Amino acid sequence: MCLWGDFCLKIFEIFKEVRRGFRLFRIFAAQHLKKLMEYKVDFITGACSFLIDQVVNIAFLAIIFGGVESLKGWSYYEIMFIYGFSLLPKGLDHLFCDNLWNVGYGIVRRGEFDKYLTRPISPLLSVTVEMFQVDSLGELVVGIALIITSVTHIDLPFVWYDIPLAIVAVLFGMLIYTSIKIILASISFWTKQSGHIINMIYGMNDFSKYPVEIYSRPVRYGITYIIPFAFTAFYPASYLLRHTDPVFSILGTVIAGCVLFAIGLAVWHKGLSVYESAGS
Amino acid sequence: MRKFLKTYLPFTRAGIHGATAYRANFIAWFIGDIMYCFVMYYVWRAVFASSGSSTFNGFSMTDMVVFLFVTNLTGYLTESDGSFAVGEEVRDGNIAMRLIKPVSFDMTFLFNELGQKSLTFTLIFVPMLAGVEIYKYFTYGRVMFSIGTFALYMLSVAMSYMFSFYMNVCFGFMAFFLKNLWGFNILKSSILRFLSGSVIPLAFMPDTLRSVMEWLPFSSLSYTPVMIYMGKYSGQEAALRLMLQFVWVIGFYIISKIILSAALKHVTVQGG
Repeated sequence: MCLWGDFCLKIFEIFKEVRRGFRLFRIFAAQHLKKLMEYKVDFITGACSFLIDQVVNIAFLAIIFGGVESLKGWSYYEIMFIYGFSLLPKGLDHLFCDNLWNVGYGIVRRGEFDKYLTRPISPLLSVTVEMFQVDSLGELVVGIALIITSVTHIDLPFVWYDIPLAIVAVLFGMLIYTSIKIILASISFWTKQSGHIINMIYGMNDFSKYPVEIYSRPVRYGITYIIPFAFTAFYPASYLLRHTDPVFSILGTVIAGCVLFAIGLAVWHKGLSVYESAGS
Repeated sequence: MRKFLKTYLPFTRAGIHGATAYRANFIAWFIGDIMYCFVMYYVWRAVFASSGSSTFNGFSMTDMVVFLFVTNLTGYLTESDGSFAVGEEVRDGNIAMRLIKPVSFDMTFLFNELGQKSLTFTLIFVPMLAGVEIYKYFTYGRVMFSIGTFALYMLSVAMSYMFSFYMNVCFGFMAFFLKNLWGFNILKSSILRFLSGSVIPLAFMPDTLRSVMEWLPFSSLSYTPVMIYMGKYSGQEAALRLMLQFVWVIGFYIISKIILSAALKHVTVQGG
């Protein structure tokens, strides 16, 4: 009974913390937008360049499909759907949690992490809400546009509960990205710097944009069970496209997100305990 | 000449030292980047498996793999980030310190970057290229490497780098007028990725678009050297492409000098 009470209290506290996080995020985002207005041109050019990259990628896909009808049974528009879907969790993580990169790149090395420790909120929350990466809106817009374009060409086996399932998959897909970044950023508490390690592992997210059938067995296992990027895009997208294996595709994403997040929190807290500021 | 080298070789040494200090970061960074090549390798494998044909627009599977990896490696040798350095210095005012010293502005950047490149060459380029050659050996069953072709490739890469360097210097001087370069720098690299044929091989493009892009200087950034490496050009065509590269290098060298003299009249150092 006492245990249950403790548990409820804990949940309540977490809930309060999350609500506080959102409020803080609004305040920080407003500040960040002001800063952005100062460099409007940078923002617009950044968004344009992202658009160009995506258009080129899709054009490339179209060229490939000029020569073949399907890629291991997946049509052009199905691949476009998977590609578009992959941009959503990635974009959301990019929008809300981009500052974790900076933890690995220099916040710890320069000793700037001290300031987060002095604040009356969790350092992880504090460092995450500090930045609001508006560039990522490009990713979200392109992702949604690709999904809309592709579904008009596919016979989607659509049922109403696909929408909540898709939202759940996107949110937990984002959690996979964020948790991987938390784990890798935490390494910098021991090594002072881990930006390059984040980049190395993060680079593997490209694997999520295509059907896993095209990869060899070790790669397929790697992106499913070790660094589960396949759950951020291909598995949930394949469920939405063909209703195959809902338990594995959607529940797998949820489980992968939760497990990684738990590991992330554990590593982060262990890291905080060994953090030393830079002496100067 | 001796005085010239004596003045600028220390910058090369500094470049090597700087790059050595961050070599672990650099290698990890490279591994993250190369992932894209492996993804595309699998995509192409699936394409060739699905199409049932052994060539795709004149490229065999082996050609495609060589193209992917050599393009990526060539990019590492030819990219130049002088523009960003100039932009940063304009922003923080350090440009003043550079302008008052009795050394040439572009040569210091050039020699410094050459130092970094020499490390990239030994740490990444040579081992990776050996890997590509081993891959070719196993698919063709014989050694396909030719010193002559490789020498032409290196000549082409050297000119690609010089072109890239002077183009970036021109671009970097725009910081004198634009004040912040960050967004434009990203925009520039996106456009270049497309125009240089490093994402989509120019051979896959519609004929008219392809011939325009082949004459533009940007294709020389990656497509020309890679095609030379792969032996896709006949001797005569290769000579023509190399000549074209040379003309563009000279052209951008002259433009960069003109922009420099114009820009120096404009420079305002922000803050102290």
